[in-house]
Amino acid sequence: MRPPVGVKVGAFALAVMGTYTYYANSIPQIQSKPPAELSLEGGNVTPAQLVKAGEEIFKTKGTCEICHRIGQKGTRAPDLAGVGGRAGKVKAGLSGKQYIIESLLQPGAYLVEGYPNIMPQADKPPIALNRSEVWALTAFLESLGGAVDVTLDDIPKTAGAPAGGGAVAELKLPGDPKAGEVIFTGKGACIACHKAGKIGASPVGPDLSQIAKIQTPDYVMRKILDPAGAGTVAGFPKGVMPPMFGQTLTAKEFVDLVAFLMTLK
Amino acid sequence: MRECHAVRRGAWAALAVVALLMMLPTLPALAQDAAREPAYRAFPLIGSRLAVWAVAQLHLNFAAFILGVPIFAVIIEIIGWRTGDARYDWLSHEFVKLTFAAFSTTALLGAFLLFLFVGYYPKFWTYMTSIFFPTYWIYALLFFAETFTVYVWYYGWDWLSGPRKGIHVALGVLSNLFGTAILLVANSWVTFMISPAGIDESGALKGSVWAAINNFTWMPINIHRLIANIVFGGTIAAAYAAFRFLGAKTDEERARYDWMGYIGNFVALSAFIVLPFAGYYLGREIYAFNQTMGITMMGGFMSWLWIIQAILIGVLFIGSNYYLWLGMERIPGSERYRRYVPMMIGILALGFMVWATPRSMVITLDEARAMGGTHHPVLGFLGVMSAKNTAVNMMILTTFVSFVLYRRANRISIKPWVGIGMVVQWAALGLAAAVVVFYGVYGYFVESLVRIGFSVYQVLAVLASIVIVMAIDIPMFRGARSTGTIRWGTIAPRSQYVLILLAVTFTWLMGLMGFARSGIRQHWHVYGVMRDNSVDAVTPAIGYAANMITTVTIVFFALVMFMFWLGGLSEKGKAGESGHASTPVFAGGSDADPTESGRGRSRAGGSEASSAGESRGGRSPLLP
Repeated sequence: MRPPVGVKVGAFALAVMGTYTYYANSIPQIQSKPPAELSLEGGNVTPAQLVKAGEEIFKTKGTCEICHRIGQKGTRAPDLAGVGGRAGKVKAGLSGKQYIIESLLQPGAYLVEGYPNIMPQADKPPIALNRSEVWALTAFLESLGGAVDVTLDDIPKTAGAPAGGGAVAELKLPGDPKAGEVIFTGKGACIACHKAGKIGASPVGPDLSQIAKIQTPDYVMRKILDPAGAGTVAGFPKGVMPPMFGQTLTAKEFVDLVAFLMTLK
Repeated sequence: MRECHAVRRGAWAALAVVALLMMLPTLPALAQDAAREPAYRAFPLIGSRLAVWAVAQLHLNFAAFILGVPIFAVIIEIIGWRTGDARYDWLSHEFVKLTFAAFSTTALLGAFLLFLFVGYYPKFWTYMTSIFFPTYWIYALLFFAETFTVYVWYYGWDWLSGPRKGIHVALGVLSNLFGTAILLVANSWVTFMISPAGIDESGALKGSVWAAINNFTWMPINIHRLIANIVFGGTIAAAYAAFRFLGAKTDEERARYDWMGYIGNFVALSAFIVLPFAGYYLGREIYAFNQTMGITMMGGFMSWLWIIQAILIGVLFIGSNYYLWLGMERIPGSERYRRYVPMMIGILALGFMVWATPRSMVITLDEARAMGGTHHPVLGFLGVMSAKNTAVNMMILTTFVSFVLYRRANRISIKPWVGIGMVVQWAALGLAAAVVVFYGVYGYFVESLVRIGFSVYQVLAVLASIVIVMAIDIPMFRGARSTGTIRWGTIAPRSQYVLILLAVTFTWLMGLMGFARSGIRQHWHVYGVMRDNSVDAVTPAIGYAANMITTVTIVFFALVMFMFWLGGLSEKGKAGESGHASTPVFAGGSDADPTESGRGRSRAGGSEASSAGESRGGRSPLLP
């Protein structure tokens, strides 16, 4: 007995789609993960740690490697080998670190001859490096043939505006900061590792005294609920912060705690 | 009974549209409520992203079908009207009938997609509404206009025949204009997410909504989708014909669906040939909007996606050509062209291999050391754009030659200038091939910015040669001596599986390109403006995407089969009065005199029209 046409056609179509699906699953599988936020403020960061953090940003969130090479001439962007040494001589009146910072924040201000004006601003979306990340990236670029002397104060305070999706997407925290402070010092036991202004003095974790100035509520929430997933501040050991606050704190306690942290400026 | 079906179908579609329209005034209020709620909610079991992905892909598939098919249906109707060949009128009606069954499903899926956005991505939808709210009304009104026009077009087929045929054709044109306008409005939302414009740094609209609509990728995607919809509609219609051919009980039925399949494939192939050029335009605008996005798309985590795309397009090219070669077997006189087939196979196979060659590969350190780098020392050179552009242009030229040979298979020109005409035609093709190869090789010796510009010369050379060859071919074979009638219905059954292969492959390709279009935004809902902070912010790897695309494509075809089956129910037991007219007779399908083909209208209204038209005894310049 011959199978009906519908069965034959259906089997044929499934075989075709199965072949495409098999092939797609057998080639390299690469995901694109959202970059983690990096905070370097409040911690005792050494130049070596800063450079290491900057190199990480260069290769990941900064997406610099898409166009720039180190030790190899690129067709879209200049070779960055030795940029730390020559940066101070490129533009009269600008030191090496000033030139690098200007190149990151205003790429069109000075163009290397032979290259088009295609570089996006590093602190603006979609790259959207925050101030700490611009600092670290500058340090890394300085380290390529030069001395690392950039400080956080060299980075303009306006650098690194968070992306919000327009005014409608702004988040207004409903929590009670005073109740949050009680959680910080009591049930949450955050004070055991973190300093928060006049409260606490522990050096185990980063100083949170100015956390609201450098981080978004979104990051703070994520960091509390998923400490490992949100990344570890450079200079501090990984895996120390407990991951169970999502289970131990009630929703109100969590919101209060975040509201308190966002008052620390 | 037929009226009852019509009313029922109409009621469903109208219900969907009314539901959609009634939701619109409530959207701002819903959106404001949403702004006070969580940014995201989780869809049960599969999660919000998969739910939106599945419904959006299904909606786009159906929308592409109902927007693409009427474009060529009305052209075929015009051909039938002007040449007086009733076969085309029957075919046009068949095509519209197919889309008609899918109309209400498309509207329902669109409404479902809207519910998903409002419910599961409330903040995202609030933001989109803050930019595009005025366009919602335009969209709804266009949808009404489109629905009513298509209804009158379809149900007025007999009523507006004969001397009123011009009005009927105008309705078909009008429905296409409304349909295209709907496409343009919906594309403005999608393209804004990729390349936002007209907003300030906070993401708020600066001035007129037009600036947001007319963003970098809007027009390229409009063009690309319009062409792709025609290809898609053609392949689905051809697959339907193939299915009916394979299940046909009589020679007459087999002949009819053989012809329908051929026309569907012809339409798809004609549009498909220019699709890569629209793709270049889109790619160029993406780079113009944001270099990082362009580079991420072509050389970043998505680089392997283009290898799969190359394979799929290679299958489409080779499949289309193979179908044409099989079709030539049923044309007396085509034997003289068989000797060109091996050469064409060679070019297509070579082009396929070059196009599917990756430039750099994700490999282990040991593999890289063994190979001497991230790309193969020899084959890696074939993975760059110079080689790929050359390959695809040569494949387009070869496909065009296949079509030209098919077109003249049973015809011998009797024009006195046929010799010169042939020489000019071959010279045009040869020159185009030379230009394509020259710039392909020269591209290796210049900077990338210069090299990108070379693709324009290659495209122009190919398009120019196509125009020149056709401009000569049409008059050269007008009134040509026939070497025999096409024996419709005698084509090898495997050719029908080729048509199904093309439909499945193109549908899968549409899903893949949908993933590419969304994926290049990475972790952004609106690129650079509104970040995706949901649990689904990771852009999945190609294997995961392929699993999803396949699942949705299976569901799509299952729904399409079901609707076609439903559509076929109304015909059962009503032979001779189904549709608007009795089916025409085809040469090769029966003992009827071929000259009588196309004169089979039975209904009073139709016979008036056909007799008026047939007296002109015309013939389509392109279609057989």
